Order: sequence, then C-alpha cells, then structure tokens
Amino acid sequence: MSDSARAIAEAKSHEGVPGRRLLDPKVLARIDDLELVARFVVEGFISGLHRSPHLGFSTDFAEHRQYMPGDDTRHMDWRVYARTDRLYIKNYEADTNANFIAILDVSASMGFGTSGLTKLEYAKYLAACLAYFSSRQRDRVGLVTVDSDVVDFVPPSAKHLNQVLHALDRAQPRGRGALAMPLLKVSESQHRRSILLILSDLYEPADKVRDALGPLRDAGHDLVVMHLLDPAELNFNFDSAGTFEDLESGERIPVVPGRLRTRYTELIRDHVAAVGKLLGEGNIDYLMVDTSKPVDDVLFQYLLRRERMQSVR
Amino acid sequence: MSFLAPLFAVGLAALAIPILVHLVHKERKETTLFPSLMFLLRTPYQHSRRQRIRDWLLFATRVMVFMLLVAAFARPVFDRPPDAVVAGTTGGREVVVLLDRSFSMHVGDRWSRAQAAARQALDGLGPADRGTLVLFADQARAVREAGGTRSELRATVDSASPGDAATRYAPALILARRTVAESELPKREVIVISDFQRSGWDVGEEARLPAGTTVTPVDVASSGVEDRAVRAVELRRSLADGRERITVTARVSNTGPAARGIEARLEVAGRTVATNRLDLGADAGGVVTFESLAIPESPQQAAIRITPDGVPGDDALHFILERAPSIPVLVVEGAAPGERDVYLQRALEIGDRPSFDVATRRFSQLGVADLAGKRLVIMNNSPWPQGDLGKRLETFVRGGGGLLVIAGDAVTATSWPARGNGVLPVVPGDVRDRVSNKGAVLGVIDRSHPALSLFGSAQSGDLSAARFYRYRAFDSDSGVLARFDDGAVALLEQRTGTGRTVIVASSFDGLWNDLPRQPVFLPFVHQLAQYASGYRAGRSVYEVGDAVDLQGVGPAVGDSTGARGLAYVAVSPLGSRLRIGGTLGDPALIPAEAGVYEVRPAGSPGARPRLVAVNIPGRELDLARFDPTRLTHSVSQTSDEPTENGGGVAADLAERERKQSVWWYLLVIAGTLLVVESVLAHRLSRGRATAT
Repeated sequence: MSDSARAIAEAKSHEGVPGRRLLDPKVLARIDDLELVARFVVEGFISGLHRSPHLGFSTDFAEHRQYMPGDDTRHMDWRVYARTDRLYIKNYEADTNANFIAILDVSASMGFGTSGLTKLEYAKYLAACLAYFSSRQRDRVGLVTVDSDVVDFVPPSAKHLNQVLHALDRAQPRGRGALAMPLLKVSESQHRRSILLILSDLYEPADKVRDALGPLRDAGHDLVVMHLLDPAELNFNFDSAGTFEDLESGERIPVVPGRLRTRYTELIRDHVAAVGKLLGEGNIDYLMVDTSKPVDDVLFQYLLRRERMQSVR
Repeated sequence: MSFLAPLFAVGLAALAIPILVHLVHKERKETTLFPSLMFLLRTPYQHSRRQRIRDWLLFATRVMVFMLLVAAFARPVFDRPPDAVVAGTTGGREVVVLLDRSFSMHVGDRWSRAQAAARQALDGLGPADRGTLVLFADQARAVREAGGTRSELRATVDSASPGDAATRYAPALILARRTVAESELPKREVIVISDFQRSGWDVGEEARLPAGTTVTPVDVASSGVEDRAVRAVELRRSLADGRERITVTARVSNTGPAARGIEARLEVAGRTVATNRLDLGADAGGVVTFESLAIPESPQQAAIRITPDGVPGDDALHFILERAPSIPVLVVEGAAPGERDVYLQRALEIGDRPSFDVATRRFSQLGVADLAGKRLVIMNNSPWPQGDLGKRLETFVRGGGGLLVIAGDAVTATSWPARGNGVLPVVPGDVRDRVSNKGAVLGVIDRSHPALSLFGSAQSGDLSAARFYRYRAFDSDSGVLARFDDGAVALLEQRTGTGRTVIVASSFDGLWNDLPRQPVFLPFVHQLAQYASGYRAGRSVYEVGDAVDLQGVGPAVGDSTGARGLAYVAVSPLGSRLRIGGTLGDPALIPAEAGVYEVRPAGSPGARPRLVAVNIPGRELDLARFDPTRLTHSVSQTSDEPTENGGGVAADLAERERKQSVWWYLLVIAGTLLVVESVLAHRLSRGRATAT
C-alpha cells in the first residue's frame, strides 16, 4: 500500500470516530497528490453540505421522475406529493459560472511550519480544495502566486483546474514578500469581477495590507483574505534560547523565548486584530487560519461565514 | 545464556554517544529559522559551558537504554532446562490431524475418504508418538490423546459427521500451531485432511507453524461434482386491496450437467403452497418466481425446496414470511388549527421500512388509553399533560417508549412544569426571533450520532438548507445533536430510564422555519421518529456461524424489565434446546444447523417464539478448490538448518528464542527508561531555562 493510500485509509478511519471527523493536516501531508487531497476533502466533507451559495454552487432542478420502491426518500419531492398524492423523485443538475482566483503568497516566510505542514503547504491544500470545489461547480478557476512580484499566473478558465493544481504543486517558498505590487498587477489584468482568495501570512503592517488590497476592492472584486499562521508563530512556544533567523531577510538575532513570549504574543494578537478590523471596515472577508487546525474545519467555517454575508450573488 | 544474533553486540560501541553528549556538549549555536523578526525584540543570549559529566542519573539512564537495546537486538536465549533436553532426545512425534467437517464434505464420498485417512494417520502413530485430532469447520475443536490410548481419537473420528458450517482453515491451524509449539517432542507433524475449498482460505501469518513442522495435506475432493442448490430468495412486497402481498423469487445454481424439469416448492409453515419447475443448464443457474401470496398475520417459517440430489443440505433455503415492520405512533397536537400539522402527518404516511402506524389526538382529547401499544409519542407543539396522564406518559418513557417533542409556541416553561416530570433535560426558554437577519441555519450537526448518521455522507441531504426564523432556547451542554449558527441548541436528546426523549427547538408547522418545505424534511422526521422509538432494523435470516441478534425477543416495550441480562431458550431445527444469556447460558446464539430456530425468553415456554431462519453459508456452496501445496507453503516456516531430523541447532535455538521472547521484555524496559529519560531531561532543561 502506498503512503497516499495509507494516509487516505487513515483519514477515512478517523471519519467514524467522534471528534476526529475533521481531517488532520498531518494525515493530509502524507498524501502527495494535490488533486487527490482536494478531491478527498471536497467530496468527503464539503459536498456533504450540498451547497455553497457564495462560491457559485447552486443546484438547478432538472426533472421529476416517478418514485420507485427502493428509491431514497431523501430525494423525494414531497411538495408534489402534498399537491397530487403521487410520489416523485427530484433530479437536479448543477449550473453556475463565476471567476475564482486564488492568490497565493509564496514568500520565504510561508515555508515555515511546526505542525506537520508548512504554511505554504497548508495554503496549497486550501487553494486546491476551493479551486476543485469551484471547478466542480463549473466556475472558472485561476491562480496567481506572488512574493514581492507576480511569480506564476494561471488565468481563470473552466478548463484550468489541472493547470492550477500543477502550478500549486510547483510553488516553492522564495524571496521576500510584499503584497502591494503583485496585487496591483492582478487588479490591472482582471477586469471581470471575480472572487479573489488571498492566502498569506501578512507580515506587513495592517495599514499596508489594507492599502495593497485597495485596488482589487475598488475594482469590485469579492475579496477573501485567509491569514495563515503557524501555532509557533501564535504562541511562540520555543523552549531553548538561541539565534533566530528571519526566513526572508536572513537577519539574525539572539532570543530567549521565555522572556519574550508574553510581549510577542501580545504583538501578534494586536496585529491580527488590526488586520481583521481594517479589512472588515473595507468589506473584505478576513479569516485567521491556525495551520494546526483540520483543513475541512477551516473550509466549513469559511463557507458558513460566506453564506451569512450573502454579498456576491 | 546464548545469543541468536551476537553480532549486534558491536552496538555497545554506541555507549560512547551518551558519554560524548554529557562530556563534550558545547554551548548552543544552532539557529532557529523563523518567518519574520517583525515582532521579536532583541535580547541578550545566555549561554554556559559544560566540561564535566553533570546529571549522573540522566547519564546512567541513557547508558542503560543503549545496553538494553543492544541486548534486545542480539536476541538472548536462556539455556534449556536439563529435563527438556532429556525429553527431546528420546524421540517420538507430535502428530496433529486436522479433519475438515464443513458442509462441503457431504459431497460424494469425501467424508468416508476423510475418515479413512484420519484412521490411517492415527494407526500410524508409534508408542513414543502423541496424537491430537482437530475437527474443524468455521471453528476448531481439539481432542487430545490421554493416558497413552488412542481409542478416544478413533471413536471421535467414527462418530463425527460433516455439519452445516463453512470452511475456515485458520482456527484449525492456530490450534495445531499451539499444540506443536507446546510440545517437547523433537518431531512435529500436521496432517490436513480436507477438500481444500477455496472459499475457506483465511490463512495468515498467525497460522504459521513452528520451524521444523512437517505439513502433510490429504486431499479427499473428487472430480465430477454434481450439486444443485437454492442460493438466494428475493421477496417483493406489494399492496392489493389494502392487504400486503409478497412475491417470492428464488435463484437456483447447478454444478454439473444440465438438468431439466427440476421441481421447486414454496413451503409456508411446513405446507407446500406453490410448485413450479425450471430447467438448468450445465454449470449454470436459473430463477423461479412463484405467484404472490398474502402475508400471514404472524411471522411464519417458509422455505424454497428443490428436487433432492446427492448433497441434500443445500436443496432448501429458509426464510421468514412476516409483515413489514411498523412503529405505532401517537401524535399529540396542541390547540393549534388542524392544517398546521399537515407536514408531520404527511411525512409519517410515507415509508414502508418501517412504516408508521399513526394515531392523532388533540391535546384536549388525550386519554390514558391512547398510550396503549405505542412505541413513540410525538408532542407536536403541545403542553405537557397534568395529573395522572402526565405520570403515565412519564412511566411510558421510563419504560422504553420514545418521546419526540416539537417545541413551538406552546412548549413553554409554564406548560412543561418540572420539565415534564423529568423527561425534558432542561426547562424550555424564551423564543428567539431571527427574522431580521434572514433566519438561522443549522451550524453544527453531529452526523456521527445514530439519529443523524444518515446525513453523514456526501449528497445525503442538506440539513443546512433550511432557514429557521424562530426557535425556542434550550440551555444545555449535554445531549446536543445540532446547533444553530449562533450556538443555540437545535436538537437535543435525553435518556430517561430505558426510553428516549428527543427535542426539536423549532416547530414543524412551516411558520417558524421552512424545514417542512425542504426535501430533507421527510428523511429527517423518519430518522428522528425511528431513533426516538428505539427502532432497529430487524433481521430474521442468518447463515450458520453468524451471531444472531436477539433484539425483539423479550418483554414488550413499556414493561419495567430491561432486556439486558435476559436469558433465552432456543430450539434448533433438529430439536436441541440451547440456553442463551443469563448466568449459565452461552453468551450468544451462534447457530450450527441450517433450518429454523425458535427463540423464546427463558421461563416463558408458552410465549410466541421469534423465528430465525438459518441457511448454509453461501460461500460454502462454492466448491472451487485451491492447490493443497499452497497451504503447505503458507504455513511452513523456513529455517537456516535442515529440519529432517527434527531441526538443527540453529532451528532449535531460534525456536527457543521465539518461545522465550526475552528481547520483548528488554524492549519494554528500554521503552520505560526512555520515558523516564524524557521526563528527567525535560525537568533539567526547564530548570536551566528558568535559571537563565
């Protein structure tokens, strides 16, 4: 049995265990095929929700057919039964079209991870799942990877899921990150109103983040920002004193974590709160993602929030 | 003491590692990569030198771990006690004869040939040998030689006969492995007498015999098998003139040449009610369908029988004719206008497995007699009845009945005083209005719960599609099955006595929510009603060797006696009385004969029995075979030394090492010490970090 197959079997075995239904990032990390992960997560969990109105998912009624013994009563149109006293089964087909573009920060800081996955890998899974989800609903999917500039670009198309997944697979952490320039380029190249999912660790002052997103928001795009942070970044739970090196700048400083922890956690929480507040004021959907949390837990939270917002269609 | 792998002793050189760690440990210079130093402040780096061994306890623990690991990998073996050596040199064989008595041994002369082979094997035992006979089908039973006489073994072979069970080789081989592994005799032999049916292959690593054991297969299967068997029955239900009818279709298989005009009879309660004929091609199958017949009021045993052949046991297939299950339900309506209950009424009218036998009463007309014979009471937005009726309803729930409460405007703290005599887990709270923000949706749904597991898979019903504009607050943390998106309880359960209460926090009238207009409403209502009533889909047809679920045999719902710990008496098709459960009986009914079992609660000989149809396992009717050498190769151990003379020195050492398994204990001790090491190291590390 391959590692992937074993990991899927293990993930499925968790589904039946109360409290372990959500997919563990460590298990997903062992599945080396992004499409497989996306299909597994989406088919196994999200499609169980049946719909996600803000990602374009809707079901259109196709036809009625007469109920036959053995048909699942869940598909019975019992409003017709109430009117006619005859049992009919309702068939549906999906029909939507929208642009969905994932903008993935691939700066070097995204290569950090202590909980089985790096932030970049986690972001790839999220992007792959939502791209797969959108493509499954006949939306056009695209991808932009960015550091301080645009690194890779897959234009949105209904046939580009594989290209998106391949581009995601190729993405490696590199360089210093700065969102302003690449997001400006995206706003200039995308004229059709789209759902833009920005996946980044947002290591920039909150007002700079807001300003970087401004052109996209002004162009009428529907923005969703997922702020990915590793538990070690949130809690700073390092034990040993030592030299800490900035993954992007290479700068080094000596640190005694025990002395710094309280102040650091205050600063990072303030940063998260400030980003959330500023983006919220700009009608940008913001979600802080702890990368130790199961992927489908994040997707579920996200879809639930989107449903409440009712802002796209 | 010897070592099976002494070369691992070079691993003792690894002792240098903890010494180096404790002596030469340098100040820390490793770098921690961190995403951004944006939030980090500069701070002085504290460091220290270590030039002598500190933490002696930690050092000793680490040294011990390395030594134990090296010893474990070297596989130590304690020398054999002198008496065992003497016994080993006196000669003699440990012979285990595995005799297959599964159903397929009925075919042709397989059984007589098997008996002859077993007798021959027993007769071949010498005075220094010891014999064990293992009769096996899906389970294995050993008869051991006692007092130097083999008469008991021979008598067992003479009196044994094939049963109705399927073949499984693993239990017999595991029994044989234990027998030869415990033997001190130098030569071991296992003789397998069987027809080597492919469907019985379940041999895994656990059935591997000790090194040096000789495996001798004796194949008693004959070619040119002819057998016809009833393989399956399909029951199709229909309604005609308000009565439930059933059409029986049987599938018949034919192994051997073509056969024409085979008679097939449908028997009900021992009487033939329909006859049909069918033609069967060579090594082919056929289907026979009988005229539909009315289902009797009470369950009746039934069977399809075909013209007998050389293997009569599979010429009949047994089943039970009984009505589709139904749940008697009492729906109590509040004082609301009648059309508000139309959704619930309509939903309960649909469905046949189980169906719902619904009686509806207005709350004002409700009487004690209405509870009689019911398994579920649905309080559809109704107050709790006062006085004697309330107490009877509470007794009903405590005695195993189900209560489904639909909490609309009439379910309030004042209309349900004392939480409905305790059947409600919490006091109903205020009504929450969510009209202003387009209604609530279900945010958290426990799809692992039996009541909602139907909706757990993809495309299985969208409970979150419904919008809830008003719902009643229930403040509870336990028993919550679903919550609205604001965290309020949407669905709640409580067990009271042996019964269940399920509460839905919003109404089913289509006014407080649009759930009744959603497709998911129908299965949702069915699932809640089935769960609250304690309904479990019953099964009346089993195969030989299955464990029978005895649910439904016992006191009626509503009695104060619980079903747990009850004893049952089962009468087998051949008339044997079996005691199941209680303190003296078998823990479960595992039928060994094909036919119909009658099961009653112990001490109730006059009670109507529950009928359980038992058939020959389907896989046993597949007579395909495997090559016996496959079995020999699968269970034989490879050895470094030749084993003709009972195994060489290496094989003997390996066998003793396997039995003693000292390495395992060493690894456990090493593992324990590693845990101790971790705790010690952590404490010391924390102590230093605090000090710095």
